Amino acid sequence: MLLLVVPSLLLVVLINAYPLVYAVGQSLHNGTLISTGDFVGLQNYKNELTSPDFWAAARFTLIFTIVGVFGSWLVGLGLALMLRTRIPGRGTFKVLLLLPWVVPVVVTSTSWNWLLATPDSPIPKLAKALGFGDVLFLANPTWAVITVCIFKVWVSFPFMMMMISAALASVDPVIYEAAKMDGASAWKAFRMITLPMISRSTYISWILMTIFCVNDFPTIYLLTGGGPVSATTSLVVLAYRTVFQNFQVGPGVAIALMMTFVLVIISSVLYRQIKKAAIQ
Amino acid sequence: MSTSIIHVHEHPPLAADEKVGSKDDKGRQGQWWRFALILVVTAVLIVPVLVVFILAVRPGPNSGTTAGFTLGNFTYVFQQTSTLIWLGNSLAVALATVLVSVAVAAPAGYVLSRGRSRAVNSYSLMLFVIQSLPVITAVIPLFILFANLGLVDTLTGIAIIYIGASMSVAIWMMAAYIDSIPITLEEAAWIDGASLFGGFIRVVLRNSLPGLLSTAIFTFLLSWNDYLVAIVFLRSTDTFTLPIGLESFFQQNATDWGSVMAVAVVMMIPPVVVFATLNRFFSVGGVGGSLAGQ
Repeated sequence: MLLLVVPSLLLVVLINAYPLVYAVGQSLHNGTLISTGDFVGLQNYKNELTSPDFWAAARFTLIFTIVGVFGSWLVGLGLALMLRTRIPGRGTFKVLLLLPWVVPVVVTSTSWNWLLATPDSPIPKLAKALGFGDVLFLANPTWAVITVCIFKVWVSFPFMMMMISAALASVDPVIYEAAKMDGASAWKAFRMITLPMISRSTYISWILMTIFCVNDFPTIYLLTGGGPVSATTSLVVLAYRTVFQNFQVGPGVAIALMMTFVLVIISSVLYRQIKKAAIQ
Repeated sequence: MSTSIIHVHEHPPLAADEKVGSKDDKGRQGQWWRFALILVVTAVLIVPVLVVFILAVRPGPNSGTTAGFTLGNFTYVFQQTSTLIWLGNSLAVALATVLVSVAVAAPAGYVLSRGRSRAVNSYSLMLFVIQSLPVITAVIPLFILFANLGLVDTLTGIAIIYIGASMSVAIWMMAAYIDSIPITLEEAAWIDGASLFGGFIRVVLRNSLPGLLSTAIFTFLLSWNDYLVAIVFLRSTDTFTLPIGLESFFQQNATDWGSVMAVAVVMMIPPVVVFATLNRFFSVGGVGGSLAGQ
């Protein structure tokens, strides 16, 4: 029995657990990638927690995560509900709608760049033709935040669609018949039957998507590089830059660890919700 | 890994459709209205994907022609750039990741599925916690460790990280699939004198093809799509995998969209083909179910 688990345990310890312990040590030193540096206690944490850059990144991460999770959930739910009914070519639509998720982010960020990066790109031109004036989708800080969030929703909605579709498939149609006979409106049937039935997989998908959003790097970094003027710098991007561009390992690791801490709290709260939903 | 878990599940058309949906004329009208709506929505949503294909076959500065449709961009990127090397690197890393991950995760998943001890439960909880840890936290210490071991800027190095990073989800997926195989099959084998290991190999593994395949797809995509680990660990053009290759090619050739998109097509074909052919093996129950079942 033990022999079957040991190889996986070794890998998990080497690639996941050991670095975490090592990272805690690093965050207490002022080292670089080459040297360990001096022990500085909690100074790195203190510096980060009083740094406006850190809080700006935390704020963007929060916006990005909330929009990413609920935006993709709403789009995914809408599409899953539509695809649930009898429509010609239903299977084809399902496969096509998975593409934003299946195609690597490196590829789709490139095509989004082509679509909207410069004032001569198709979408800014279209916006101008529609009378919105010159919209700088990636060069204006506010628009860059909006664009990155929309990009994340676009990349993630197929995942939500799949999760919700699977949950909807398990709902017994007889329940709807019964509700109809009792005179329930479509909205009421949705609220009283559909939503409770998909609540468990909804919580699971929220947990997973929260983790995906907070930990996301390529979706943001490839589209904007964290700019303009740090407007789209998330905590992961900030940690990456601090370590690999400014070579300050201690502060970078401290950022990553604080993020990890908050993430573990959020997922354990949601995890409890799953268990509740499972019992009901 | 930010690349995440992918589930595709092809459902048989639902009985619910016939009962709830279109029974009368009003229903049929609603059906066409919905069809038109979803057609438009889908068309808009896949524009960024279509753009990649369209630009890749349009003539550009290096395609050697001005015809309306050309494969010149592909000829150019394969002959004049490092795309072929990057493709080879990506394939080698993905293959190693898939083989090792599945070989290691399958027996562990078996233990997680059948084991009832406290140790097994805590291992399962540990895997849940590990899955939520940001890759960036692990990457920084691993970079220092791997620098000492001479594994920075090597394909072996990143394959090891992908294997480790895929472990928790891969084990869950295997455990969730093995849950669906009745234990009575093994019990019969044990009565016939098979060892625990023999029962696992001859009974469980032989019946686990869909589970093994969906774990393989997951680990393949994780390795194929990763950007963060690759950009930290790979330093020279010869060791680039496709994500970094495409990114650096894009930075240097931002005006030659045809060639950039040709590399992009090369990169997106394998995952799309894998999905198109194997998606029926992918079940949503996998990760979600085992997450909630703890």
